[in-house]
Amino acid sequence: MAKVLIAETSYLVRRGLINLLEHTEGVTEIKAEGHPETIMQTLKEFSPDILLLNSAITLPVNHDELLSRLHDNARIIYIINTPLPQDSPNHQISIFDTKNQLSEKIAYHLQQYRDRREEKEETEELTPREKLILKHVALGLTNKEIAAKLFISTHTVISHRKNITRKLDIKTVSGLTVYAILNGIIKMEDIS
Amino acid sequence: MHIHPHMKMSDLVKADFELLAVLQRLKIPFGFKDKSIQTVCREEGIDLNFFLNLAKWFHERDFFPGETLMNHPVKWLVKYLRSTHSCYIDYQIPRIESEIIQIENTDQASSKNMQLMLKFFREYISEFTAHIQLEEEKIFPYILELEENLEKEKPDPEFLGKARGYTIRDFLDEHSDIEEKLTDLRNILLKYLDPPSNNCMFTNILIEIFRLGKDLNDHTILEENVLIPQVIKLEEQFHQKFPEG
Ligand SMILES: [Fe+2]
Ligand SMILES: [Fe+2]
Repeated sequence: MAKVLIAETSYLVRRGLINLLEHTEGVTEIKAEGHPETIMQTLKEFSPDILLLNSAITLPVNHDELLSRLHDNARIIYIINTPLPQDSPNHQISIFDTKNQLSEKIAYHLQQYRDRREEKEETEELTPREKLILKHVALGLTNKEIAAKLFISTHTVISHRKNITRKLDIKTVSGLTVYAILNGIIKMEDIS
Repeated sequence: MHIHPHMKMSDLVKADFELLAVLQRLKIPFGFKDKSIQTVCREEGIDLNFFLNLAKWFHERDFFPGETLMNHPVKWLVKYLRSTHSCYIDYQIPRIESEIIQIENTDQASSKNMQLMLKFFREYISEFTAHIQLEEEKIFPYILELEENLEKEKPDPEFLGKARGYTIRDFLDEHSDIEEKLTDLRNILLKYLDPPSNNCMFTNILIEIFRLGKDLNDHTILEENVLIPQVIKLEEQFHQKFPEG
């Protein structure tokens, strides 16, 4: 089950890919953008599992920065505007590819994604460590304060927070606080 | 559907009723009879192309709105965005708030959770109001003045002073994300809250939050990808026309 973002300037290619993906098993949601700025916005809001990105598009961020804006298990498939050799890697598709070639490559990535999700399903619960971090976040502590309290680095706190947000689908501190109260991690009286 | 000037306005709405929001925000009154898009626009004093471009973007969503919408006077878009703001503030937000209150009052079992949702939502309302207030009171007036002064032989000295030390880019940098919290609320209601016994009303709240989220998303695109780039261009023209010193 994967969410796919198509980042492609060409209207024809975009429509073609949407059509293909709509009939591909394992794709839950498709978004398509053709402009660098809307691509970046959708990337942030939609948080796709697979980004189909035309390699000719110049994004306002470099490759590393782009990767950091995707979630940890997301992947990028590049759309290439020239024909590709027979043994081209799986993460490249060409606008000259046949329907079968495209389907095969995309299915390969979806397959991996499906496998990952199925085993993940049971572990979507927060770990005890994450719960502890969440508790402090909900109580209004900053990353720095939490780090000092638990004798870990700020970097570790940030990485835990990223995982909490991904697992729960909740981004803001107030949202996390509400979750913590609903689940008895903190009490309503603890905040005010 | 291909949207064109001679199609009936009522047919347009029948084919895609989400466009009613666009009509409402342009303050086009209903009761079209068999009038065409062209006729309705002329009667209401709305530029036909502006209407067509807006309607096409909302309907098709397969092109970058800046492509077509940037070629109109900026005041038209500002008027549209303002009317969207008042729709949120006067109607959509209070409506969701009152629905949460209603569940809180009628459903004993979930009243505590609903209290929490209400607290969260009210926090959101104050952030949201501040966001809109900034745009209404500072940003939009600046944009309108800029466009006006650009037309003049000599700019208003007071505005000139303001324009020298300011650029809309500053605003873009701090333009806050007003959907994030709403998305959190939506996810909490959808994934973590036991549904109250009045499920019909609860579902309705969720639908309205989904709608509002989508609507806000469009609104932000119009602000960040059409309005602001257009204002940046106006600023450049302004400084070219009235160079310093
Ligand atoms: Fe706004
Ligand atoms: Fe805004």
